[in-house]
Amino acid sequence: MFGRMILASTLFAAVPASAQWFKIATPGTPRTPDGRPNLTAPTPRGPDGKPILNGIWQMNGKYLQNIASDLKPGEVPYQPWEEQLFNSRQNGAGGRQDPAAKCIPGMPKLDALPYPFKIIESPGMVMMLFEGFTTFRQIFTDGRELPKDPNPTWFGYSVGKWEGDDWVVNTTGIKESTWLDNAGRGHSDALHLIERFQRHDFGHMDILLTLDDPKAYTKPWTVKEDVRLIPDTELLEYICVENEKDYEHLIGK
Amino acid sequence: MHSLRMIAAAVFLTCTASAQWLTNKTPNVPRNADGKPNLTAPAPKMADGKPDLSGIWNPNPKYLVNLAADLKPGDVPMQPWAEAVFKERSAGLHAHEEPDANCLPQGVPKIDTAPVPWKLVQVPGQVVILYEAFTQFRQIFMDGRKLPEDPNPIWLGYSIGHWDGDTLVVESNGFNGKAWLDQQGHPTTEKLRVTEKYRRKDFGHMEIEITIDDPGAYTKPWTATETPTLLVDTELLEFICAENEQDIKHMVTRK
Repeated sequence: MFGRMILASTLFAAVPASAQWFKIATPGTPRTPDGRPNLTAPTPRGPDGKPILNGIWQMNGKYLQNIASDLKPGEVPYQPWEEQLFNSRQNGAGGRQDPAAKCIPGMPKLDALPYPFKIIESPGMVMMLFEGFTTFRQIFTDGRELPKDPNPTWFGYSVGKWEGDDWVVNTTGIKESTWLDNAGRGHSDALHLIERFQRHDFGHMDILLTLDDPKAYTKPWTVKEDVRLIPDTELLEYICVENEKDYEHLIGK
Repeated sequence: MHSLRMIAAAVFLTCTASAQWLTNKTPNVPRNADGKPNLTAPAPKMADGKPDLSGIWNPNPKYLVNLAADLKPGDVPMQPWAEAVFKERSAGLHAHEEPDANCLPQGVPKIDTAPVPWKLVQVPGQVVILYEAFTQFRQIFMDGRKLPEDPNPIWLGYSIGHWDGDTLVVESNGFNGKAWLDQQGHPTTEKLRVTEKYRRKDFGHMEIEITIDDPGAYTKPWTATETPTLLVDTELLEFICAENEQDIKHMVTRK
């Protein structure tokens, strides 16, 4: 599936660009004298002094393939059953177990898809609009608490708050069948995701992702995912179930 | 599928409501002395004086069944081929071909009428509509850009908006011609242009005047008006169509 996604993305990029507002100059973008976006300009800040995270962003694709790609062997603190499950999914075995193979998006892989996502801050709620699956997350910033006994969903329930210059998003209630990455790491219903958004300059952001899931991992573990700003463009439409041809080629049950 | 969807929605609503923030109080809602929302209070304004259309809106499902529900016979001037397609579809012979029965997007304006709510959010330079239906979104650009002249056809099209007095006028093009306008099956082509005029009449009531301009299927533009109502103290649920879809096999298939 993801091979097709990347191929599709390439094909889309080759068709009439102007039609998709690809060349719209994103307002508020600092530029060098030649008109190019200055991606190392300072982080923009709002009247409250906090970083503004708005923009179209794209994650380094390696984390979709392997969320632990920056970690050393042995640094992922698997519980034995989770390690066994992960091992059973190696080399594509179990590809059909990944809900995304059936066009069902889910967290935390949604953030790591190889397509852009757009962050839009609004009063009391921050939207993340995803080109992948043409879907969205709502992250509530109105002070509400996470639900105590959530009905499990594919995206979970998310609340965000500022800690200094870090925007910290806590998410629970994620269905246990979602995968952490294409390599096949899983989680349990106890997963508590902590995403720490750190915009370092105009064009660069890190998301520190902490996975706190005592049923599947012996202790919380953290990965740092790098995200870059994609200026002067817009999200495309991406409908997974349209002409889906990959599932039949995947293996596993 | 749609009846099942409604059942599914009803089932969702009955379970663990507190878990889904369904009882969170919506801020800035005028209320009566008993605490109930006053849905006939005046429509709110943004700081810049423009109407504030934001909120969670619930469509009137009769327009999902038939966008022309309030129109007289003959008010929808179909091309002969479109009329023939419409007759077959409205007889139920092609229900399995309806795009959203196959988890494909409803298209515009049908997505406005899917029997689950949507949330309108106004931010600088654009309006975003978050649809509970299939957890999809639309972006409506208010930054002065023009509609694309040679758009790559897509399901939800390209949308720009501007204010005409207190009315948000949204114009859209670039549709792929595969969407049905309603369950009865009014067809569309790639020539479709949709104009939606959103007017918040009071705190709890919206009117959307929808003009269908599709010379590929209709001999002249025609207009219908939808009437969503505000939902307060609740939140959108997650709706993933591809999950455990069980309806299509029960739908009529014409051999």
